[in-house]
Amino acid sequence: MLVIPGQKSHTCEGPTRRELLRSGSIGLLGLSLAEFLCWQDQAKAAGTLEGSRGFGSAKSVIMVFLQGGPSHIDIWDPKPDAAANIRGEFKPIKTKIPGTHISETMPMMADALQHATLIRSMSYTPNGLFNHTAAIYQMLTGYPPDRVSPSGQLEPPNSADFPTAGSHVSKLKPPKEAVLPFVEMPRPLQESGVIGKGGAAGFLGKAYDPYRMYQDPAKPLQIDDLSLRKDIPKERLKDRFELLKGINGSMPELEKALNAQAIDEYYGKAFDLVLSGKARDAFDLTKEKEAVRERYGMTTFGQGLLLSRRLIEAGTKFVQMNWPAVANGNPEVDSWDTHAANFGPLKNLHCPKLDRGLSALLDDLAQRGLLKETLVVAIGEFGRSPRIGVSTSGNSNAPDGRDHWPYCYSGVVAGCGIAAGAQYGESDQTASSPKDKPVHPNDLLATVYYALGIDPDMEIRNHLNQPRELVKGKVVRDLWA
Amino acid sequence: MKFLLPLLAISTVFAAAEEPRVNFLRDVAPILSKSGCMSGTCHGAAKGKNGFKLSLRGYDPQFDYEALLYDLAGRRFNRADPARSLMLTKPTQAVPHGGGLRFDVKSDYYKTIYTWIAQGVVYGDPAKDSVTKLDVAPKEIMMDKPGETASVKVIATFADGGTRDVTREANIDSNVPDLAAVGTHADVKGARIGEATLLIRYQGKFSTVPVTVLNPAPGFAWKQLPQNNYIDKFIDTKLQRLKIQPSQVVDDAGFLRRVSLDLTGQLPDPNEVRAFIADTTPEKIKRSRLIDKLIAGNAFVDHWTLKMGDLLEANRKFMGEKGVYEFDEWIRESFAANKPYDKMVREILSSSGSSYENPAANFFRVTRNPKPTMEVTTQVFLGVRMVCAQCHDHPFERWTQNQYYEMAAFYSGLGIRPGYEVGEEIIYNQRENFDMKHPKDGRIMKPAFIVPASFGRPGPVPTDSSRRLALAEWVTAKDNPFFAKSTVNRYWSYFFGRGIIDPVDDIRASNPPANPALLEAMTKDFIDHSFDLRYLLRTITNSRTYQSSMSVNEWNAKDIENFSHAVPRRLSAEELMDGLTLATGVRPVFTEVPPDTRAEQLPDPHVGKDGFLDLFGRPSRESPCECDRRTDLSLPQALNLVNGKTISDAVSDGGGRIAKAILSGKNDRELIEELYLASYSRPPTATELETSMKYISSGTSGRASRAQDLLWALVNSKGFLYTF
Repeated sequence: MLVIPGQKSHTCEGPTRRELLRSGSIGLLGLSLAEFLCWQDQAKAAGTLEGSRGFGSAKSVIMVFLQGGPSHIDIWDPKPDAAANIRGEFKPIKTKIPGTHISETMPMMADALQHATLIRSMSYTPNGLFNHTAAIYQMLTGYPPDRVSPSGQLEPPNSADFPTAGSHVSKLKPPKEAVLPFVEMPRPLQESGVIGKGGAAGFLGKAYDPYRMYQDPAKPLQIDDLSLRKDIPKERLKDRFELLKGINGSMPELEKALNAQAIDEYYGKAFDLVLSGKARDAFDLTKEKEAVRERYGMTTFGQGLLLSRRLIEAGTKFVQMNWPAVANGNPEVDSWDTHAANFGPLKNLHCPKLDRGLSALLDDLAQRGLLKETLVVAIGEFGRSPRIGVSTSGNSNAPDGRDHWPYCYSGVVAGCGIAAGAQYGESDQTASSPKDKPVHPNDLLATVYYALGIDPDMEIRNHLNQPRELVKGKVVRDLWA
Repeated sequence: MKFLLPLLAISTVFAAAEEPRVNFLRDVAPILSKSGCMSGTCHGAAKGKNGFKLSLRGYDPQFDYEALLYDLAGRRFNRADPARSLMLTKPTQAVPHGGGLRFDVKSDYYKTIYTWIAQGVVYGDPAKDSVTKLDVAPKEIMMDKPGETASVKVIATFADGGTRDVTREANIDSNVPDLAAVGTHADVKGARIGEATLLIRYQGKFSTVPVTVLNPAPGFAWKQLPQNNYIDKFIDTKLQRLKIQPSQVVDDAGFLRRVSLDLTGQLPDPNEVRAFIADTTPEKIKRSRLIDKLIAGNAFVDHWTLKMGDLLEANRKFMGEKGVYEFDEWIRESFAANKPYDKMVREILSSSGSSYENPAANFFRVTRNPKPTMEVTTQVFLGVRMVCAQCHDHPFERWTQNQYYEMAAFYSGLGIRPGYEVGEEIIYNQRENFDMKHPKDGRIMKPAFIVPASFGRPGPVPTDSSRRLALAEWVTAKDNPFFAKSTVNRYWSYFFGRGIIDPVDDIRASNPPANPALLEAMTKDFIDHSFDLRYLLRTITNSRTYQSSMSVNEWNAKDIENFSHAVPRRLSAEELMDGLTLATGVRPVFTEVPPDTRAEQLPDPHVGKDGFLDLFGRPSRESPCECDRRTDLSLPQALNLVNGKTISDAVSDGGGRIAKAILSGKNDRELIEELYLASYSRPPTATELETSMKYISSGTSGRASRAQDLLWALVNSKGFLYTF
């Protein structure tokens, strides 16, 4: 249920089970029949999700992952009435969501929010470690990391890690046609020396790792393994395939013994991928009109989003588009990790790219009718401290910097029937904690799985064959209009 | 145990005086368990579910009782009106319940809990109401054919001597569900021929029942195949009973390829293939000689060093670059000298001092801390997984949480400090303040073995930090019930793709061996031969069982567990890469190691990281589990084989096998024969030769190019990617 300012309303979560228990009946609580039914619906859906609102509404997901932790106050959740050391330098502007303002740094998104729901109540309390790697791992796997190296840093990725969301999706919802199920670009998830934590298939095995396209999509791309080699034109590859069929066929007993392994299926898909050129073409941004490319912005981020759309069109299930810059100590680099120089770079470097790219993606998907079956999520691993120049994570901060803040931040979700032009949740006066409807990262992940038609409560098995939950979160069903 | 509000208790008890007495231990806990409330994905999860936590699978009834009673200030019960209790409205979905409907209001379970609440939620007396024994009837289930059904009856005996039929509340699982399928009413259906085991659990006690489904087809007449050694005797005894006719032995070329890969990780060279096929010595002697030759070679040492390195997580991430080379070398020397396995393990577990001077001590640098070191020790050397017992009593085994900490206490004095050289560390025994404490109440846990076995000295387990040495003695003792058995089982799995107990590092009463007599005999034989690994591998590979063909007959086609025929296994990442080198004549170059280094000789997964080897499932050496090595096939792998650089470049390399053969003037027939010998380890059949001849001489791209296509197709085919 959405917040309509000035109007008080019960949501599906409105009356708690405690209230109901205390009062003993519906009438005593003043619940309307509709609310009761909505509530009953939830109870029913716990048994079977098929047919529930929003379940299976998405064919694919574009996860725009703003690694580094963008400052929610300076982008999505301005607090003009707060003290100067909180509200910062930017002014609020009106958006297409009635009554909702965002920062002046995001003028194009103010318009494009007509396609999306702005969540202002993302919130969690880190379990122990308070750094990017831990938070990224939490956001994308749904589990807090459990092993820390002697240096206090997280362990690099390993084969016992919980799988990243895209890996689960490529296993649980494999595409039927020959496409890359899961693509990650244009660079790995990273904080300092720990690279790729939370971005791998972990205990599912490397077969479910993303196809890693770590190149700058604003430049010509080298996609060798999907392209025909010069010395092996189409006809020759077809000849080879025929020859291979014959050779396999000459050992029928082996064929029979390996029947269950789906080897031919994988080979067939690999051949189709290479021969059809579909995936390779998806990576070819020169096939787009110049005007479209420019609308997204001729930046790594903008072109990456355009590429994301092309991959989704080609049938890819899950695109993980990571913010292309990570902190390197230089405040002028467009990393979201703004411990220093939060304002100038945000206004001049970061936000223009995000604003242009994300608004173009939403407009473009909507125009092409793709938004109906695509879920777009744009979010970081946390927000930034409401107070400027203080340390909240143990990091040192410049007087014009903001520190990590997972307790309250914002995210944008759109597509697959999710309410367009709406706000979900509200933060308090200083954007330091949610005023209502807190959304835990696990709830968001559960919602992603749910949108794809995957029961988030399903049991999975880890490398030791121990049962684990896919994610321990509650689907935010009220995102759907 | 805290007391309940007496007034409430008395009044409700009075109101329900007619009902039978119901208590938590005996009546309610089993219902919760059977209804799945305490499963790992529901309230038994480490942090509970939706704010409500019960112990995993109900291993701690007192905790569960108190959680129900005091959590939410007792709101789970409405003693005045039991039907309004959350404990009843939740599972019946009268109010929303994330776990769905567990039982309905008309069920017996509902009535029991209702009565229990009405009677004042009595806990019961552990001295009377806990389960002491589980009797399952029948003790063994024999079915004459698939499709038959049977049912089991489970009787619990309580501490006060009372008994009860708990068939409905007991959890019954099959270890092979597609062979023996368990229905919802304790009924078992035999789905296919073979053997399975039912695991029956009830309130912390468990029992097992073997199920045998015989082959009903008429006309089975056992044809005795030659038996090469005692392995075949034990295998045949079981197969004959199950009416499974084993396959004939594989032909010479097939045996050569299989045994070369399994003992050395390498394909035989074309000349070796020719010589072996041409050798007219009687089959059994000829094969035995080949085995001896392979075991005596350097590739044998490399191969088993690699396997051991996987298990011990030889990885520069933990040991540094110099450390991992020293450790790798130490393992290599142990295998080269055929060091008795117990001695090798004892040296590792009792090692201390500089990681450079005593490389075996690198073992401790992987896990560093007492608890994970204990977990790795038991999993790698005993095949026992203690890890589950860290947080709760092991659900399928007798290990308790206390035992976990008693075992971990052996390592509590383990110390690691920086050494004098760069990257060096010193493993030492701490002198004080090293007690292992229980996480729940902080009490000091004294070291104690999970099962008795000798540990090198008389008297009690030492309490000072030399207790670690006692553990090393105990692990490797001849009378340790797990050490020799798990070693034999693990090595067996390297030759058959599965252990006699499988998975190999999960040995427990509820995961019984497929052939107990065989495992017992091999274990004894291994101990009697002083833990000689070469002897063990020689025994395995000389057996007819190992030499079976994958050609099945009508009697063994569906057998999976009894080793009646060979099962194709995908070559490991390293075998694949070295096999490609042999087939194409082009060796890939790894940075940091000498150019002629084979993939099987690499010291750790740092070399060639993220390349072909990792894609094909080389283990990351960050886990002691055999499962870390993957041999499945996937789309990215197929893409790499079809269109990747590794194969495409190698088949067309100007210095490769094809180029050399053409330059040396080989004709089409000779060229094709060589390609088959190098990739398939056998000459082509007449049909294969004819098809290949036709392919090479047709087309417009030229002979060399067509030969490259042929080699490409051969190394992409199942006959190359698999050993069978």
